[in-house]
Amino acid sequence: MSKDGSAHFFTTKLDAMINWGRKNSLWPLPFGTSCCGIEMMATFAADFDISRFGAEAMRFSPRQADLLIVAGIINLKMAPVLRTVYEQMSEPKWVISMGACASSGGIFNVYSVLQGIDTMIPVDVYVPGCPPSPEGVMHALLRLQEMVQKGETHSQRRLKAEGKEYALTAKA
Amino acid sequence: MDIRTQVSTNYGDMATKFADTWKSQVSRLQARFSTAIEEVRMPIEFPVDVPIVYVKKDSIIGVLSFLKTEQGFEYGFLADLTAIDESPAEPRFEIVYNLYSLTSKARIRVKVRLAEGEEISTAVPVWRGADWAEREIFDMFGVKFTGHPDLRRILMADRWEGHPLRKDYPLRGYQVFTDPDPINQSLLD
Amino acid sequence: MKQNETLPSGITIEHDPDDLWSDSRAYVNIGPTHPAMHGAFRMCARLNGETIEKSYCEFGYTHRAKEKLGENRTYHQFVVYTDRLNYCSAIQNNVTYAMAVERLMGIEVPERAIWIRMACAEIARVIDHLVCVGINAVDLGAFSFFLYGFHQREEGYMLIEKLCGARLTTSYTRIGGLMADAPEGWERDVKAWVKKTRATIDEMDTLLTNNKIWKQRTVGVAIFNKEQCMQYSFSGPSARAAGIDADLRRDQPCMFYKDVEFDVPVAQNGDVFDRYAVRMAEIRQSLNLLVQIADKMKKGPIWSEDKRTRIPDKEVVHNTMEGLIHHFKFFMTGFDVPEGEAYTQFEGSNGEAGFYIVSKGNPRAHRMRIRGPSFWHYQGLSPMCQGEKIGDMVAALGSINIIAGEIDR
Repeated sequence: MSKDGSAHFFTTKLDAMINWGRKNSLWPLPFGTSCCGIEMMATFAADFDISRFGAEAMRFSPRQADLLIVAGIINLKMAPVLRTVYEQMSEPKWVISMGACASSGGIFNVYSVLQGIDTMIPVDVYVPGCPPSPEGVMHALLRLQEMVQKGETHSQRRLKAEGKEYALTAKA
Repeated sequence: MDIRTQVSTNYGDMATKFADTWKSQVSRLQARFSTAIEEVRMPIEFPVDVPIVYVKKDSIIGVLSFLKTEQGFEYGFLADLTAIDESPAEPRFEIVYNLYSLTSKARIRVKVRLAEGEEISTAVPVWRGADWAEREIFDMFGVKFTGHPDLRRILMADRWEGHPLRKDYPLRGYQVFTDPDPINQSLLD
Repeated sequence: MKQNETLPSGITIEHDPDDLWSDSRAYVNIGPTHPAMHGAFRMCARLNGETIEKSYCEFGYTHRAKEKLGENRTYHQFVVYTDRLNYCSAIQNNVTYAMAVERLMGIEVPERAIWIRMACAEIARVIDHLVCVGINAVDLGAFSFFLYGFHQREEGYMLIEKLCGARLTTSYTRIGGLMADAPEGWERDVKAWVKKTRATIDEMDTLLTNNKIWKQRTVGVAIFNKEQCMQYSFSGPSARAAGIDADLRRDQPCMFYKDVEFDVPVAQNGDVFDRYAVRMAEIRQSLNLLVQIADKMKKGPIWSEDKRTRIPDKEVVHNTMEGLIHHFKFFMTGFDVPEGEAYTQFEGSNGEAGFYIVSKGNPRAHRMRIRGPSFWHYQGLSPMCQGEKIGDMVAALGSINIIAGEIDR
């Protein structure tokens, strides 16, 4: 504290600080396969700008992204690819399952469709809709941000259990 | 009221507009390929939209090339190549060729009846684009095409067992895999 | 050390005598998760540096078994699945499917419904072309072009939302008519949108069409000439870019396309630039069409009163016994479509979109075959990119506008 009463530092918890940084710089990996991919593109475009929330840097490489937005149908042919991409991402990583097809197979309960990506990878936020409106996707992102701040996501819980909370490059 | 009811906003004029063209084309076809043509179904008589020519499988390539190149036919555009599973009727499969003529704007359909296990020659020499359509028929129905450059599964994974669009394949017959498909290097060498 | 290799297509690949390794080829997987592969497609290529010597394409990563579902769902239930075919212009698929089933049943749709369907098809065409050229530009680096187009696309979505409440997966048409009437003043909104989109397209044109960088990246790239297009059954803008003068709206008119005027843009060379130019010209033609349609629409019923397909209104269902039973039977068993088969085609935004339906007189189809134009166009990608660099392949893929929903179904 200086002589005139203004503060030059503030106290907080370390994990609150780190989680604040993480939540405001989510870098999405748009895993868009079908119709939800178009609504995801609309969310990233100028009308429903997602870069307001810090998620502008779309990185298509799993090594460089931390938020996997699965938008669209995941097939039994695509499922191993999804699993590989998820495993290649480094911790902490988050998954938004966008749309009915990714969350549960949607209207397609057929021989070739994976009935929900949560059978293969842990999901943090599910967005209902077929396709969800861009407002829905933004709501999901904001909800995910709340979860990241509080440390409630699967990835953060896993890291905490392993004792590697502040690890920035932990292996999956 | 069925397809024979002519609705002007829904291609209802096709039957009248092409009636003469189709009649002369069908009679020329029957004159040229008398033994190969099993049956012809004309619109209005049958509930179909265009003439359907049922051809024996041995002469299909001859008929298709004739339809593609001959003056007065010129059905140069392969609109669709697909199959129908007619089980339990025998023969089980019908391979369907939907053709369109860019010059006369007419359409025609050619069908081949195949039993289970029978093979048919590939249409790739006539249209290169038939390649993938035949691979899809093989994948979905299990019908093999002799002479096809590369007959393997296209929509389903290579490891899939069974042919999904057959009538006896269940709608929910899942087959789960855990490791991704590798590159098939032999195709690139 | 290897000799010069001549590929079957005639391209000669020279071997560098300074190659340290006897075989410096790389086998690379482009996709299925790749930013430039729109949707989930895979191209396995043998690369010599940046040049693609040989490649094969794979798809099926979004196969949703719609043809099998067509055999297991009633005709009315299937409308929902048709949206998800060409999802960039979803409402157009609804229109094509409804026409296909109505043709089998011999139903005559009221006039106003046909005009609204035509307007929907043209709006869908505009928004599909905006996506195609926008994403093509993004792949090659021109990002703001995409943003201008997408803003007009959002405005177009608002028009569709006024009709049926949904932006993308509309399920708007019913067999014999439409789900709901256009609200009061919809025609005025369409004309206002057309005016704004025309201004935006002019602006977008100045960005790219005479741009030196765009021309260097797209002129002469991935040429697919007339004969090749006919061999691979190309249709729509990709075929018109190669000089094939075919447009089903003009050659085999359905609905009221005979009563409206429009031109069909055709280019010569069949390269990426021509496909882009044909699409931009087609957007302008569709906008002209929309103004004509908005002027010609008159008030009237929007669903044919054919008892087989008309779902009774809720007042009738809740207040009369017959209405209730009719409603129940309609949704529990579906309506019988008379025996017959038909292949119904329509000039979709990508090309000839068709439904080949074989009916045996049941409420469910015996065979529901969907002809998606992108299936035939994607097949042409490998020959188109033989000998081209990867960057050119990216441009080519964006220009032929392949949409996973149509290929995999």
